[in-house]
Amino acid sequence: MSTDARFEDRPSREWLRRMAELEDRCESVTAGGLAHDLGMLEAALSEEPWLFGRFIQFARRARHLSVEKLAEQADIDIAEILGIECGANMKPAPRTVHKLAQTLGLSSGKLMELCGLAEPQDEGLRLAALRFAARSEPVTELSAAEREAFEEFVKVLSESPESI
Amino acid sequence: MSERPIEIIRREGEIHVPAIVYDGLKPADLVLIERAWGPTRLRLLQELLGRDVPRSEWPESLHWDWSRKADELRYLEATGFGIVCEREWQGVMLTKTVSHVAQLPAEKGRPLVYVDYLESAPWNWRIRPLGQEGQYKAVGTVLFREAVRQSVKEGFHGRVGLHALPKAEEFYRRCGLTPLGRDRRKQNLTYFELGPTEAEGFLRD
Repeated sequence: MSTDARFEDRPSREWLRRMAELEDRCESVTAGGLAHDLGMLEAALSEEPWLFGRFIQFARRARHLSVEKLAEQADIDIAEILGIECGANMKPAPRTVHKLAQTLGLSSGKLMELCGLAEPQDEGLRLAALRFAARSEPVTELSAAEREAFEEFVKVLSESPESI
Repeated sequence: MSERPIEIIRREGEIHVPAIVYDGLKPADLVLIERAWGPTRLRLLQELLGRDVPRSEWPESLHWDWSRKADELRYLEATGFGIVCEREWQGVMLTKTVSHVAQLPAEKGRPLVYVDYLESAPWNWRIRPLGQEGQYKAVGTVLFREAVRQSVKEGFHGRVGLHALPKAEEFYRRCGLTPLGRDRRKQNLTYFELGPTEAEGFLRD
């Protein structure tokens, strides 16, 4: 093929419109890869460091526990729980996460994954976490929608309990 | 970085609007592009999750992150293209000219332009379950046309190869590319290739 004026110039409006219609009829024009290592699902989670704290707060409130009571039952410092819940402590100690999982009846492996102490393994967990993040707002009482999102997330977190 | 005026189509009013195609994007440009697109990706993700849209209906590149591709632009063979319209990046493409060769039987082993990644800005996607129609049309067409032009300029006679995401297969087939089977090394995506005759046909108005 030779280099000619047609190729150098911009396409005609008719051609562009025809192609735009084709694009519209097809669902997508994306080329590249599907791999999640290109992806941002993980990034979205790591950019939401408050998620773990918010989840722990929801779990505590759903069980009608005060911070003091949870601290006592899990044998964790009150200050440490408060730090986690308000997002000040985004990298809790593995022992703390394990104790929280035990006390709240959750899978410690998945809770470790959620707070970034373990490598993400579970796509379902990431999606459930994002669903929870999308629907929850930190308010005093859990709304019906929040409770539903929370219960759904708990379900995923509680599946196949594993030890650390 | 070089620039050239083109046109794309604004869906609202169906009007042709001026845009600029840039080639020779720098790694920092990809970081800036993702910074501009990322919040829309996240908002769409939250809406899709919030409305319980099945995963199969999500945009396939929703999870992409162009800033993670910035390093690829450091290779000499890589070129980044982008379209700007109304001060926003509307689409981006990354091509390579050395690492891939033609697979079409008649062209086997000959050099081609390989489209590593091509994506339109998330606000240009049509997402029916969310009622999103997309702001600008023909962005993918204009970018793909740049790949064909690059191939002609390089002396590759319009040969272009790419791995289409499943929902984009129909588009590339209609552009004249030949599907050459699924590629296990590339998440089982179908590899498509444009030969010289089809390239001529594609560029012909």
